[in-house]
Amino acid sequence: MSLSVQQLLESKGIQAKPEHLEILESRWNGMKKLRGTLESVKIEDADIGLRNIPGGDHIG
Amino acid sequence: MAKDLIQKSVEELAPLLESGSLSPIELTKAVLDHAEETQDTINAYMTIYRDEAEQAAREAEKEIKNGNYRGMYHGIPMALKDNLYFKGKVTTMSSKIHKDFIPEDDATVVSKLRDAGVIFTGKLSMHEYAWGITNNNPHYGPVRNPWDTDKIPGGSSGGSGAAVAVGSSVASLGTDTAGSIRIPSSICGIVGLKPTHGRVSKYGCYPLAWSLDHIGPMTKTIKDAAGMMDIISGYDAKDPTSVDTPVGQHLERIKGDVSGLVIGVNEEYFFNEVDNDVDQVVRGTIKALTDQGARVEVVKIPTLKYAEWAELVTSLSEASTIHHEDMLKRPQDFGDDIRMLFELGELPSAVDYLQAQQVRRQLKQEFHEVFQKVDVLIAPTLPVVASKIGEDTVDLNGKQVDLIDNIIRFTGPSNLTGNPALSVPGGFKGDLPVGVQIIGPAFSEALLLDVGYAIEQTNPMKNRKPALLTRA
Repeated sequence: MSLSVQQLLESKGIQAKPEHLEILESRWNGMKKLRGTLESVKIEDADIGLRNIPGGDHIG
Repeated sequence: MAKDLIQKSVEELAPLLESGSLSPIELTKAVLDHAEETQDTINAYMTIYRDEAEQAAREAEKEIKNGNYRGMYHGIPMALKDNLYFKGKVTTMSSKIHKDFIPEDDATVVSKLRDAGVIFTGKLSMHEYAWGITNNNPHYGPVRNPWDTDKIPGGSSGGSGAAVAVGSSVASLGTDTAGSIRIPSSICGIVGLKPTHGRVSKYGCYPLAWSLDHIGPMTKTIKDAAGMMDIISGYDAKDPTSVDTPVGQHLERIKGDVSGLVIGVNEEYFFNEVDNDVDQVVRGTIKALTDQGARVEVVKIPTLKYAEWAELVTSLSEASTIHHEDMLKRPQDFGDDIRMLFELGELPSAVDYLQAQQVRRQLKQEFHEVFQKVDVLIAPTLPVVASKIGEDTVDLNGKQVDLIDNIIRFTGPSNLTGNPALSVPGGFKGDLPVGVQIIGPAFSEALLLDVGYAIEQTNPMKNRKPALLTRA
């Protein structure tokens, strides 16, 4: 079962404008198409390096 | 005289101010008068600080007369984008929600410019919360393009682009998350530099998307941008993304010598689906550089095909996180266009966001490898020229295409990778300016400006200026 854009937003407490829903569906589908299968991108080994540096972040 | 003054760049004004042959008071008055005169037509300003600017101009005059000239920007009147904090002054982000917001501190870039002697003439309009590229603001009205007032100035730093182009600010700063410095710079026919991520402190700038946001100069000339980079660059412990690495000089390094320069050209992404006239301008610019001794190498960057997706997921997710609470409590107070983007940004999953970061890492690696072979990449800043105010589509070789999707296609990748990117005027399509984009390795701003200077020296704009500037 897949949730609609409206259901997804409502589950997060966001009240989308009714006139936005159709455009949101279309844009969201457009983004999924842009993503495709991520074929040829070697991401399985990609350590994106979310650095966990004690005391090293947000100084000052 | 006032008409002449507002047309001049910082590099032209600075020697006059230093020698005392021009008073900062006279210059500031000319800029303020012109800002007021063009406000009904262009709507670049959110607020004009007439009294404070005149007071600061009097102080600058006194200092310069006493032999305490601080440098190129001393006594230069300038307005900044309204997402940069001025201590004790309303900073709106051109929004309704923050219409009365008063910051408790200056942005680091504001402090640095103030220390350099800049005279602040006011705050400039922007796309609401910087989340768009038209500057068609529902709360404060559209900013108009000085080259054609029916057209957008680009965004989100549209007030900055329009003000510099029309002469109501001698120079300015913009912010850039997917192209918001380079888009209005290209459309308004001025110079815009998005520095390397971490080169210019973002402390005191209201965020759009933390990992993609940058602050940089928007100016009439390359040397003006270089002079400003000399002031605003450098490490700042108050900004967690600031990078502590040597800065070096920008202005001093400008020679405009491109002999031996290796220009990378990526046909598959950066020259795909481009307006024919824009394509011609950019290829003409590359030819002008090769005529001066540069050479071209064709390069491949395969992951660029996923750049648009990764940029969208990252920017949408980060922006919707920042505005999540207001989307729960008062969504009706956002303009309709950005409310929809905040709704869209609630949809990607954590897996989507993190995969976008993996794509980003791969793209950074590919850019790094390309810059082992070439010095810079050259591409169109935008695949199109300015569209009409109020339209969601734009003409691309006779086809109407989505404005937002297309306008950020060539600017977004360097926000993802953090590489510096410069837009420099390259010519025209009809009466509308076309920008050429130069992308370089991390922290290569001085090189980009030097290549930009070589382009500027070919006089691609043929000395044309907006009519509103020349008939002032």
